[in-house]
Amino acid sequence: MKQIVVALTALAAFGAAEASLAQAVNTRDQNELIISQIQTDKRAVVLSALQLTDTQVAAFTPIYDEYQREMKAVMARGSDVINKFAANFGSMTDDAAKGIMKDFFKVRNDRNALLEEYAKKFGRVLPATKVLQWVQVENKLNTLLDAEAASIIPLAR
Amino acid sequence: MRFAPLAIAVLVTSFAPALHAQDSGLASDEQILLNQVNTDIKAVYATNLGLTEEESAKFWPIFNEYQAKKKPLQDRFLANVNHFAEKYDGMNDADAAALLKEKMAIEKEGEALKQKYTAKIAKELPAKKALRYAQLESRVQNLVSRNVYTLIPLAR
Repeated sequence: MKQIVVALTALAAFGAAEASLAQAVNTRDQNELIISQIQTDKRAVVLSALQLTDTQVAAFTPIYDEYQREMKAVMARGSDVINKFAANFGSMTDDAAKGIMKDFFKVRNDRNALLEEYAKKFGRVLPATKVLQWVQVENKLNTLLDAEAASIIPLAR
Repeated sequence: MRFAPLAIAVLVTSFAPALHAQDSGLASDEQILLNQVNTDIKAVYATNLGLTEEESAKFWPIFNEYQAKKKPLQDRFLANVNHFAEKYDGMNDADAAALLKEKMAIEKEGEALKQKYTAKIAKELPAKKALRYAQLESRVQNLVSRNVYTLIPLAR
């Protein structure tokens, strides 16, 4: 769990000081590496929490990997929003603020929609109690990641 | 099984307008606590948004309306948590499916409501302040969710 937070901290990589904010914008390659690490760590956390049988693991894993692939694209767009915020931070115009807010909500909606879509997919191969557990774990991890990001991204000004 | 339902209720409802606390059936000490938290949370928005008088006159009615619209969703959330607690020890797949369906419906409606009211606020405030409001709202919600999740165990 701690590794995930550390990785996300690196992903967001926003220093508290404004000066470091602009310098901390990550390249897409760096972000991809970090997102991959987050996903590897997350997979281990999820599997440990769900305590699936071997048969359930066999059914769960390919769907989860597909979910992770799709989520990676959503996370990359989330990272782009953060970078856009950082790039505009010192001289944020109203147009930039509108664009960032729109993109932020789009990423959030897509993340929620993906969770719902895959809960349905898991529901076809796992008992509903396990699906509920999975959603609980995903929610907890997402909340943790969001909190970490919020703690290092300053409010717009 | 019960897992601190009062603590969850306080966490979830503490960001609703104070008048709702009086309808919640909570003991007077909790009402006082909720009123204080409500006062504090409004102060958090007021301090961080730095609204002018003119902006305040537009912002607060929308904010209060948003809080009022959230109240039924908070009630449904608490009912679902209580249902989860009641079923926890002997949860079957039908129970889990129903709980999950309701949980996702509440979250979807909550997110839609948040975005709808953020858009309303964005029509009345400069976009930078609206963005700042959206960040604050997300942080407050995240704080509540994180604390609530620590009180609710995984299904079994």
